[in-house]
Amino acid sequence: MAQIKDRYAIVGVGESERSKNSGTTPLHLALDAARAAIQDAGIEAKDIDGFMSYSENDSCTSHQLATYLGVRPKYVKDIMGGGSSTEMLIADAIGLIETGQVNTVLIYRAMNGRSGVRMGGGGWDINMLQSAIDGGSFIIPYGAGGPAQWFGLFATRHMHETGLTQEHLGHVCVSFYEHAQRNPKAYFYGKPLTMEAYKETPYLSYPFNKHDFCLESDEANAIIVTSAERAKDCQSRPAYIMGITARQCVSHSHYWSDLSEVAADYVAPELYKKAGISPADLDVASIYDCYSWVVLRQLEAYGIAPRGEVGDFVAAGNLRMGGKLPSNTAGGMLSEGYTHGMNNVLEIVRQIRHDYKGTDRQVENCEFGLCTGWAGPDIAGAMILRN
Amino acid sequence: MDYQKPIPLKNQDNHPYWDAADRHELLIQKCESCGHYSHPPGPACSKCGSAELSWENLGSEVNGTIYSFIISYRPFLPGFQDDLPLVIAVVELDKAPQVKLIANVLNCNPQDVSIGMNVKMTWQDITEDRALPQWIPA
Ligand SMILES: [Zn+2]
Repeated sequence: MAQIKDRYAIVGVGESERSKNSGTTPLHLALDAARAAIQDAGIEAKDIDGFMSYSENDSCTSHQLATYLGVRPKYVKDIMGGGSSTEMLIADAIGLIETGQVNTVLIYRAMNGRSGVRMGGGGWDINMLQSAIDGGSFIIPYGAGGPAQWFGLFATRHMHETGLTQEHLGHVCVSFYEHAQRNPKAYFYGKPLTMEAYKETPYLSYPFNKHDFCLESDEANAIIVTSAERAKDCQSRPAYIMGITARQCVSHSHYWSDLSEVAADYVAPELYKKAGISPADLDVASIYDCYSWVVLRQLEAYGIAPRGEVGDFVAAGNLRMGGKLPSNTAGGMLSEGYTHGMNNVLEIVRQIRHDYKGTDRQVENCEFGLCTGWAGPDIAGAMILRN
Repeated sequence: MDYQKPIPLKNQDNHPYWDAADRHELLIQKCESCGHYSHPPGPACSKCGSAELSWENLGSEVNGTIYSFIISYRPFLPGFQDDLPLVIAVVELDKAPQVKLIANVLNCNPQDVSIGMNVKMTWQDITEDRALPQWIPA
């Protein structure tokens, strides 16, 4: 097996405008994000020969994007997928570059996630859902129709077993909202959240209130992946990929059959082995945060804090600036924006490159960054980047 | 008025379960090769891949313990707007703790639901010929 440690890098990141009603198409958003990433990398569109995207049937195709960047691509791939797709596509891109299929790959996620197709449910055909989801007829007739409920069943049990409380969920939200107050592009910029306000917020779906849910936004994000050699020709400082575990699954495709295992449990040991570092070495993180509890469960899975001590870890302010592991420092999907995780990838790259140096947004001298993806309890991937 | 909520779709793999439910009985798929219960039912055993499957009839007296739950205060699917707050629970079967069944907990104040609570299965007649397994406090 080829050793890929530090031989590949993310050399460009970019995003479109973020809104609740873009008034334009995912293709326009994708073009804006791609042009920004290309400019960030300091390359020409024609230097990119591979294009990849993930979507829930709510985007444009990679071939369309390449076309309107004026590029004839050698390789395009559009997959169906949400969380953890970015990590998977980066790993795919590395494999393609390694085998000489392409040199440089642009990966994007473009969506009108608020004004177009919404993930939070509503408008779904219930019979389609029963067939589309493994074991769907065992959950849909009971009103369990969205991730808040599916993941919530894991959360209630996990909280019961490990002593996590509502307030611990609140610490995740309050910490990330605090980051968003330093990020003028964050959705909840100017809308800080206190623990008091969090605790007074009624449940939408116990154990979650609206702050525990990620937001919905219209936006596109793009990143550019290439080899460490080609990275030298880029104007940006490369964020080197120390290790990546593309995609792991749990034992059963009907993942509710076992609330004790999540895919991140399998990703973590492989990831640290590949990267050659341990959780204690991490300086900064982007932890997939479709729900606040998902962050807590991953802190356990990725060995950031031992099982049973995750609550104390977040209550001590360790996800905040100055904490042991400042995380989701642009606000995350709870308070910045939502592109199934890619906005969190952009942020970890910017932190690792020290883009914010000299401001209160920079995690000072950060060297190692963890970025996790979570499609659900069933599917996960992650990577570790270094300066 | 017609039943407004989703009715379990029967298919090749799960129909013995739902046919039994319509008779107010619980049938759980079991692997003949490794003895593992398979729920939800599938085309083969999820533990060993064997296609040697059978069905165990647990009858109409089914008791269990709440293993986890959520309480929905908003309808995430059409048809549930009059059932709020709605308790959705994962219940461990007393006779087969490996098996955990998801259903609503009825006849119970949602505030009183907790992990470890004893429940028993009941069957809701939702149409003339279909019935839905549900839980009520034991
Ligand atoms: Zn078996």
